[in-house]
Amino acid sequence: MESLSDTKWDVVISGTGLQQSLLALALSRSGKNILHVDPNEYYGEAEAVLSLQEVDEWAARRKSGDGDGVFASAKVTRSEGAESLSPRGYSLALAPQLIHTRSELLAKLVSSKAFRQLEFLAVGSFYVFQPSSAASSSSTPSLSRIPSTREDVFANTIISVKAKRGLMKFLKFVLDYTSEPQTDVWKPHAGDSLASFLAAEFKLDADLQAYVVTLTLSLDGNITTEAGLAAIHRHITSMGVFGPGFAAVYPKWGGLSEIAQVGCRAGAVGGAVYMLGVGIKDVQKASSTAEMPEGALDIVLSNDMPVKSRTLVKGLGQPARESRRLSRLTAIVNSDLASLFEAVSEGPTPAVAVVAIPAGTRLGEDGVSTEYPIYAMAHSSDTGECPRGQCVLYLSALASPNAQALLEKALSSLLASLVVEGQESPKSLYQLYYEQIGYDTPSVDVDGQSAVFSSLPLDLAFNDSVLDPVRKAWELVMPDVTDEEAAEYMIFTDREGADAEDELDN
Amino acid sequence: MAEAPKPSSSVKLVLLGEAAVGKSSLVLRFVNNDFQENKEPTIGAAFLTQKCNLPTRTIKFEIWDTAGQERFASLAPMYYRNAQAALVVYDITKPTSLVKARHWVAELQRQASPGIVIALVGNKLDLAGESQGASEDADGEDGGDARKVSTEEAQSYADEESLLFFETSAKTGHNVTEVFTAIANAIPETSLKSARGPGAAGNANRAADEQRVNLSGPRDAGAKDGCAC
Repeated sequence: MESLSDTKWDVVISGTGLQQSLLALALSRSGKNILHVDPNEYYGEAEAVLSLQEVDEWAARRKSGDGDGVFASAKVTRSEGAESLSPRGYSLALAPQLIHTRSELLAKLVSSKAFRQLEFLAVGSFYVFQPSSAASSSSTPSLSRIPSTREDVFANTIISVKAKRGLMKFLKFVLDYTSEPQTDVWKPHAGDSLASFLAAEFKLDADLQAYVVTLTLSLDGNITTEAGLAAIHRHITSMGVFGPGFAAVYPKWGGLSEIAQVGCRAGAVGGAVYMLGVGIKDVQKASSTAEMPEGALDIVLSNDMPVKSRTLVKGLGQPARESRRLSRLTAIVNSDLASLFEAVSEGPTPAVAVVAIPAGTRLGEDGVSTEYPIYAMAHSSDTGECPRGQCVLYLSALASPNAQALLEKALSSLLASLVVEGQESPKSLYQLYYEQIGYDTPSVDVDGQSAVFSSLPLDLAFNDSVLDPVRKAWELVMPDVTDEEAAEYMIFTDREGADAEDELDN
Repeated sequence: MAEAPKPSSSVKLVLLGEAAVGKSSLVLRFVNNDFQENKEPTIGAAFLTQKCNLPTRTIKFEIWDTAGQERFASLAPMYYRNAQAALVVYDITKPTSLVKARHWVAELQRQASPGIVIALVGNKLDLAGESQGASEDADGEDGGDARKVSTEEAQSYADEESLLFFETSAKTGHNVTEVFTAIANAIPETSLKSARGPGAAGNANRAADEQRVNLSGPRDAGAKDGCAC
């Protein structure tokens, strides 16, 4: 085979984050010469999943407040009983995201046939955490499940009839919120907070407001009416698309990391060359040649190998904008917390549940209030991220000076709300804390023959706008596409043998 | 009434081995009974399928090629995931390829499901002078015995690690079907489930199909085989 240095690459892709991997997938039938490298020894970059052993190495290099620019302040805490955890039995996701069933990402995975190598699990119920209070009869905190379909609202026994009416009215409104006359109702309040809009227009009380705001997964809890309606619309219309009872899915074995691996495999199957543990050391623009009239890029890989490429696409760029920090606490719990994952209808058994602790909730005995909402994504062992009989809780909140302490309190309060009578209280065996630095909107910075993706936005649900930069980078690598080719972007037939044939033919 | 049909199960089989030992050629021989001289490095197939009929059941192999990702040790975990069988291939004319094969066996023992059936396969038997399968055309190349790895050496290593062991020639077809039949026979009945899709079987017994969300078809939820194309 031709050596890497002799090959005239059409593109060198650096990093195997979701966007670069989707680019590899998009280019997998193009016949282009593709070299795809990643300085890490694992796939997925900021979307990766790590075994406990890998987490230790990863965290050691990101202890400081600046970390590697994307992750910082990482710290592992092992509790009693953690010695017996088998390091390879766990795959902790660094930045797990749900994918709504109506997401364009799923449409692309289906049209490109990449979905055949993925297993999607249902994201089940969304809950709101209710702290224990002297006023209420219960002395322990509890969780209320958020009804998110009209049937669900009907069946709910906690919400008063009057409140139900408001909620039903709102759900109906959202379904068609971009048409008149609904637009006349919300447009004047587009920039106001969704909560105040719900109170004013639909007479929703604080509890119901919290329900609705939770479904938006807003990080600051203060989402605008315009963005909030879009998020609720996405949630409601995603309900039932692939089966009853769920609005979002999660790829088994670590979410977006798995999609990144499948994208890279598609790239490899299409002829791309893959190298892990190799990054890019230097890039120089060379003068033009007959073969590359626009001038090649002279790239030196971190193993000192020189390569020539027409284009270069990298990840983890940092746009010159204000960034945000998300504090994350990932905990391995010694119980399957089965009550969180009960199927509420005839759909598949959910493997993921979402619990929100709204902003302003008082936590623990000393009653510290939360400044921002805290979200806990609970992943059952069906995700393949932990062994049976345990589960993984991914808590996150916008960073604040005491975010770590708050997340730890949230974790213990959440576990207290899940105690089953007559059984031992569930407890956390292992905790990983870190901060993730990111932006609200994804972007790609195209400069001549290079493109740099910004990191994924800090969302808890996949944001479809992440796909636009991928398309832009694809256009950079494919400068002469015809309209026809452009229309076929990510639309592939099954590869030979990839099994569309006879199902069990007897 | 017709007899009850034989149970049929899908088995994910992964290929491993140094570049150019003939991994894809073995599969091509098994699946299409074909051989291509000077085949280009693997491009273009996500996985191939082939059935293997046993007296009491049918095994449908989903054979995953490395797609070249082994070249720079860049195989993704998803490649090994839920593999119930692995074919670790070396070239009997190239001792370093057996060293590499040992490395892959260790990697499988580390990464793959515990019950995985591993077959060690020494390919290119047609290049060994004494071989029974070789030779109808001596090919003019050197005609002599190019073997550099003895059967005994590989066999004793395979015994040590409890691997199935065969020497094959993808070129002549010698022993190729036998490898796959032996693997099919070695897969414990208990780890087989009549479920489709990579990963259906490896993972304990809670019905995986009940959890899996099917994106491919119209939403007849719960349907076992959604593939409608």
